[in-house]
Amino acid sequence: MLRELATIASVALPVNERWALRRCRYAPDSSSKGRVCIATGIHGDEMMGQFIIYHIARRIRQNPNALLGTVDLYPMLNPLGLDVLERTVPTGTQLDMNRSFPGRPKGTTLESMCDSIMQDMMGSDLVLDIHASSQHKSEMYEVRISSSACSQLVPKAHALCPDIIWTLEDRSTFSSSLVGALTEAGTDAMVIEMDEQYHPEAAEKVIEGIFCKLKEMGLWAGDARRLPTEDIPTVLSAEQICRVPCEQPGIYVPETLIGTHVKAGQVLGEIIDALAGAPRETITAPCDGLIFSQRNYSAVYPGTLIARIRKEQA
Amino acid sequence: MKKDILFTVPSYFRDDMHIVAYRFGKGEKSCAVVGALRGDEVQQLYVCARLVSYLRDVERDGGIQEGRSVMIIPTAIGASMNVEERLWAPEDMDINRRFPGSATGATSERIANAILERVQLYRYGVQLTSFYQPGSFIPHVRLMDTGRQNPELGCDFGLPYVYVRKPRPYDKAALNYNWQLSGTQAFSLYAGKTNEVDETSAEQSFLAIVRFLNGRGIIRSEILPAHPSSIISSEDLIPVHTKNAGLLRRVKFAGAHVRRGEQLAFILNPLDGSVREVLKAPVTGTVFFMENGPFIVEQTPAFYMLAGS
Repeated sequence: MLRELATIASVALPVNERWALRRCRYAPDSSSKGRVCIATGIHGDEMMGQFIIYHIARRIRQNPNALLGTVDLYPMLNPLGLDVLERTVPTGTQLDMNRSFPGRPKGTTLESMCDSIMQDMMGSDLVLDIHASSQHKSEMYEVRISSSACSQLVPKAHALCPDIIWTLEDRSTFSSSLVGALTEAGTDAMVIEMDEQYHPEAAEKVIEGIFCKLKEMGLWAGDARRLPTEDIPTVLSAEQICRVPCEQPGIYVPETLIGTHVKAGQVLGEIIDALAGAPRETITAPCDGLIFSQRNYSAVYPGTLIARIRKEQA
Repeated sequence: MKKDILFTVPSYFRDDMHIVAYRFGKGEKSCAVVGALRGDEVQQLYVCARLVSYLRDVERDGGIQEGRSVMIIPTAIGASMNVEERLWAPEDMDINRRFPGSATGATSERIANAILERVQLYRYGVQLTSFYQPGSFIPHVRLMDTGRQNPELGCDFGLPYVYVRKPRPYDKAALNYNWQLSGTQAFSLYAGKTNEVDETSAEQSFLAIVRFLNGRGIIRSEILPAHPSSIISSEDLIPVHTKNAGLLRRVKFAGAHVRRGEQLAFILNPLDGSVREVLKAPVTGTVFFMENGPFIVEQTPAFYMLAGS
């Protein structure tokens, strides 16, 4: 098995350091049956992807003969952000790297780094970009794909065995994300979204899902402990999702319901006011459905997302 | 002058954040000016504050034209300004990447929606902004190439350049792009600095807006004559990329006229002071932009040049 560490792009920083984008390639000694890119760390405050990529690499190294295709791992797309646990790239005006694609070779440093990532990944058979929710939010294991390519990508997402598949409308910011830009450029790409917290069992679901997908693509002949199923809740349009915000500021105390089916009117949590010693708002589910994303205990403002519910099919 | 609360974000730990709008005159909604959308846009806030103060006097003296009105929104992000955060801190989101927003969306989308709903009623729009690349520009007004722009109008600001910029994917979530699409002739005016007040460039921005309001027949006030404007596009700007990183020692500044091959800046080794690179002008022309940080990263367009005299 070939194991090759490469720097796909790097620029010098002012004081004795380089900002380097590193890739570890695993490939069979014989001809490769395809290529998958797995990236993470584009948002520096999302750490779960490190654990996932570590375990993918580990399993490949433990069973090198099972590898039939090329797996390119990019664990640290925003290494400066990861180092200081910041979502954005902590140089210049602190821009979100995942709003800067496809980039430009002769643009700013960030734009040229984004362009290098695009050039390195385009043409592969699949790109997976692993995210770990945002601060104070729990997520089920989701695969998010562009609605512009949904007929082609939804069937391909099944083998990842996620808890839910969500096709995202191509709003303005999505096309400037890595997955959005790759999709526009004609490369199959999906976002894997998972919980921000370290839960080994949730991580294992994602790891097994990725090996299941590699197996389905003929790139992996080893173990894959999950089996693809057709029965995965899928969101195909915005109308199938109910976004539940709060309308009062305060502290949100959740009923932990992530991954469960709720009925319309069921209590999702309460907004409390410690100064007044009184509740401010009771948040209830507006519809029946599956809670696939839920806010954790935290301060909230009017509009803060409390939960996303995939509406129950009538 | 009328002072409205355009939108309120109630808070739990702190005072509620009110987005305040100042209105002058009556009748047609002629021009809206938006200041800080980011918590570090102090200069943008300051220019708006000066405009409010000035227009109060103009209105008192009968200088707002009959049937015309102006609205100024100095800041939409006072809560972040008070804690010196650039982004909308509770969500870590850039308000100027949340347009057109949503009345029922996240807090930052509600803020964006409330602003756009109000300002899109105006015929002309001016956003005082900071740009994604930190540096100094030659005074200019810019507008997005949406197919609806009218760059000739930009000449009324009386600044040396009107820059028509091709939007990139992320621009589609910015105020200027969405404002233009909603039917307003929207301009971005670079206010010279961001997280500090600079009197000279603030004066320049302030005068440019006053000139525009005069030129469009919205107010009547005495103003210095305009500078003739040239309309330029992204293709006219020639970048000077760095091949090294280090300390940036500039010898030419935005607005300077230079000859081809003339030295623009030195990149110094930050530890021993040796020269790593000399940046030179690729063409004879004007320095349109220069990076103004003490440090420079490799592969950065440290300067943009405009060819010609």
